[in-house]
Amino acid sequence: MGKINRSAMTTLLGAAVFSFWMWAYPQALNYHEQNQLFLCIWEYFRERLALPGGFADWLSEFLVQFFFLRWSGALVLAILAVLLQLSVWKAARSINPEGNRSFYSLSFVPSLLMLVHMGNMEVLVSYPVALLLSVAVCPFFVKAGWHRLWLIPLFWWLLGPVVIVPVLFSAIAGRRTSDLLHLVYTALVFYAGYRLLASQYPAHDAFFGINYTRIREMLPVLQVVIPFVTLGCIFACGLGAKLKHPVTVDWAILVVLAIATAGSVRLAYDRDAYEVLAYDDLIRHERYQDVVKRAEHYQPHNPISACSVNFSLFMTGQLSSRLTDFYQCGTQGLVQPSIRDNVSDLTSAELLWMMGMPNITLQYYFDSMESIENGRLSGRFLSRMADCNIVNGWYGPAERYLDLLSHSLFYRKEAQRRKVMIRNEAAVNSDPVYAYVRSVRFKDDFITGYQGLDIMMAILYNQNKDNFMAAEYYTVWQRLKQREGAE
Amino acid sequence: MKRLITLAAVALLLSSCKGSTSLSDTLPDIYPDYIGVTVPAGIAPMDFNIPEEYDRVFVRVTGSNGGLLKTRGRWASFPVRKWHALTEQNAGGTLTFTVLGKKDGRWTQWQDFIMYVSSQPLDDYGVTYRKIAPGYTTYSRIGLYQRDLHSFHEEPIIESTLTPGQCMNCHTANATDPRQFLFHLRGKHGATMIQQDGRREWVTTKTDSTLGNMAYCYWHPEGRWLAGSINPVKQCFWAGDRQPIEVFDMASDLVIMDMNDHSLIVDPRLNTKDFLESSPSFTPDGKTLYYCKAKAYDVPRQVDSIRYDLMRVSFDPETGSLGDIETVIPASLHGQSISFPRPSYDGRWLMYNQADFGVFPIDHKEADLWLMDLKTGETRPIDEVNSPLSESFHNWSSDSRWFLFSSRRDDGLYVQTYIASIDEEGHCTKPFVLPQRNPRKFYHSVMYSYNAPDFTKSKVRFKTHGVYQEVFSDRRVQATVK
Repeated sequence: MGKINRSAMTTLLGAAVFSFWMWAYPQALNYHEQNQLFLCIWEYFRERLALPGGFADWLSEFLVQFFFLRWSGALVLAILAVLLQLSVWKAARSINPEGNRSFYSLSFVPSLLMLVHMGNMEVLVSYPVALLLSVAVCPFFVKAGWHRLWLIPLFWWLLGPVVIVPVLFSAIAGRRTSDLLHLVYTALVFYAGYRLLASQYPAHDAFFGINYTRIREMLPVLQVVIPFVTLGCIFACGLGAKLKHPVTVDWAILVVLAIATAGSVRLAYDRDAYEVLAYDDLIRHERYQDVVKRAEHYQPHNPISACSVNFSLFMTGQLSSRLTDFYQCGTQGLVQPSIRDNVSDLTSAELLWMMGMPNITLQYYFDSMESIENGRLSGRFLSRMADCNIVNGWYGPAERYLDLLSHSLFYRKEAQRRKVMIRNEAAVNSDPVYAYVRSVRFKDDFITGYQGLDIMMAILYNQNKDNFMAAEYYTVWQRLKQREGAE
Repeated sequence: MKRLITLAAVALLLSSCKGSTSLSDTLPDIYPDYIGVTVPAGIAPMDFNIPEEYDRVFVRVTGSNGGLLKTRGRWASFPVRKWHALTEQNAGGTLTFTVLGKKDGRWTQWQDFIMYVSSQPLDDYGVTYRKIAPGYTTYSRIGLYQRDLHSFHEEPIIESTLTPGQCMNCHTANATDPRQFLFHLRGKHGATMIQQDGRREWVTTKTDSTLGNMAYCYWHPEGRWLAGSINPVKQCFWAGDRQPIEVFDMASDLVIMDMNDHSLIVDPRLNTKDFLESSPSFTPDGKTLYYCKAKAYDVPRQVDSIRYDLMRVSFDPETGSLGDIETVIPASLHGQSISFPRPSYDGRWLMYNQADFGVFPIDHKEADLWLMDLKTGETRPIDEVNSPLSESFHNWSSDSRWFLFSSRRDDGLYVQTYIASIDEEGHCTKPFVLPQRNPRKFYHSVMYSYNAPDFTKSKVRFKTHGVYQEVFSDRRVQATVK
């Protein structure tokens, strides 16, 4: 296959992956971004590097911070997909002297499988990053000879268990007994590394990758399958040299792969779950009208989405009038009771912040951040937690959060602006958002709870008659409660 | 001669600076506040920072019994060996710190300050603590750690990565000796891990007569008995800006376990429905058990009405039988609540927490440490160590000359561990926070509280291999009621 055809195919892959993340599933970018906080400090790098697979993890978090902007997130993932495909092709060519006659289309399989794999929103970008780097070093591994003795532990530490890809590649390509011995050596490295350096993790985590998924107990089938399929593709690409074939065969394979990927993606992506993420993404960016429009086309039937739609209806002045147009599930579809995960409470936290309940907002955001299964911080959550602390005059924790955010790329500017307000009551009171929340929040202290939320709304309204949000939410709460009773 | 060389060095340093050195008539504003604290010889170097606007610091430390140490850099950082040598040379004496800071090319020299080096050594290996994000109901990462007090070395004993989904709390060694060591796991696979002389077992105390697994435990000095409270914990939240959270026990009972056969002593007087019993601790002679007791109220509605008194009951270590119960401090009568009574291991003092209500003083700004003289029964707040913010969990060193405690004094939320000494008359010294390298950066970026601290006489040996399988297999040693 000629260079032009190859370039066209690769460009097509990049464009397709970019379009997929940019327009089809941008909410996943937002989800990944808000479940981490990349800090440009040495301590952060050191902390990541303290675990096997840590370098891939660090690099992935560096890249994921760019998901803050939709287009740059889509671009990053498109570049990763293209680089993975090119690496597979390069590895295939390294063992096939007649590379130009190989099945170029088969080098797309790992990138397309990765797209399907990432339909699971808990799969981290560290996995494609680690796989990309491990495929990229394959050609060097064959030539590395005895250097593999130190390269294997090094790459295991940097990339995690996907180091098995270059080890197997060199063993198969080398076809020597000593190459096979490296497999035994790799198993020993895995075991010794786990016992000596990763003993605070269960064995299966250390063997299948600590940082490839957000939920460590989870082991998606594709995570195990993809490295072997990748190896298969590298060697299968070379078959084209033996089976003489026209360019159209490669294009036909690519079309089949594209169709298979599209079908798999539809199966792999849970629509309702992604709708929840889509609402969260839109609400984060204050696109309330878009939430309503989206719900008009497809209504997910769960309380989290109902809460987001109702909040957007309120923000667009339609809550009372259009309440019954959309799926309702009682009062919990208006404000969510605290749920221990990293996404369910976010809309409720936002609306309670605006209504004047910064303590519950703080609780919801804190618990959401602590629910990020791999223990990462969240720039978005920390940012709002700092707001709540500032409003309450709890400047110590607020300063700590803002200091951390100051080490990030996308939260730095805002953090520095707010840091000036720390212990400066006049500055806090002159900030429009802080001043408003301070004006509507509770004047007295008492024990709160979800059961008494409607009473709390009534108290807020009675305290400050300008708090029409509390009044409207109270009214709708009673309507939904009556409806629940009637049902 | 040494002094002359030092002076010459300082003069050289100052002369090399552009501009003149201004003398300030105030003490330096250092972080952490180590001015006037008393430290044991051989403690980890007491690094400190000066205000951030100063980009360089020069510090000269001179000992009253001789010795000299100098450092310069972005913060005052002392080499471990030289610091140990200096403090050991000056045990019972003082260290004088001369501090200069450079800002905008000009040096400022503050008034010298003094640090006392105690004549009482602190021979324990280090401290153990739980690191946890200070918050609400969910925790992603928790771990038990040990830290060498004589260096900056910290290592995990166990982290929640090995026990996902399970909350990990109160670790307890027998009077700082980790040969008998336990911690409690809460959650679906909850249990009390008890390790004795390297052999561990996962015990459940949930029976028909008990509420669940033990949480707050205390070893009998002879090691045969283990007293523990069984208390399902809940949280509720405040609406205003006083404090965010209130933690309380839904119910609370006390049991004593015989480690020989895992049988439980369930005394009906310590297992009442209308009262909450908590925080047990044995006296060093093993013949008395202190605990706290409060009338139960409807929670969370009346959570601020729960006030604990300090109680004690005699205990026969031969038979495990309990004698008459006595109210030691009826704190509830005075609108106060007592928690965590801890007798010193020499039997001289009893330290406890006092707050306006409840049994979780960490969330109460007004919570302070109090000291009871066990000879006279007199009590007093330990003003030498208390702050306007919360002081809570505390423990004694193995020789009872030092104690540590948790406090939120730094920023009102993140808990740090403080250490202070006590003399024979019960006078305490100004406490110091656990030393760290570049402490401002460390303490202002760490996202964990240092919770439930304790001294450990020697290093805790805990093999993590097999823990995951043991926890999730749910194979438990079942305690039985006697």
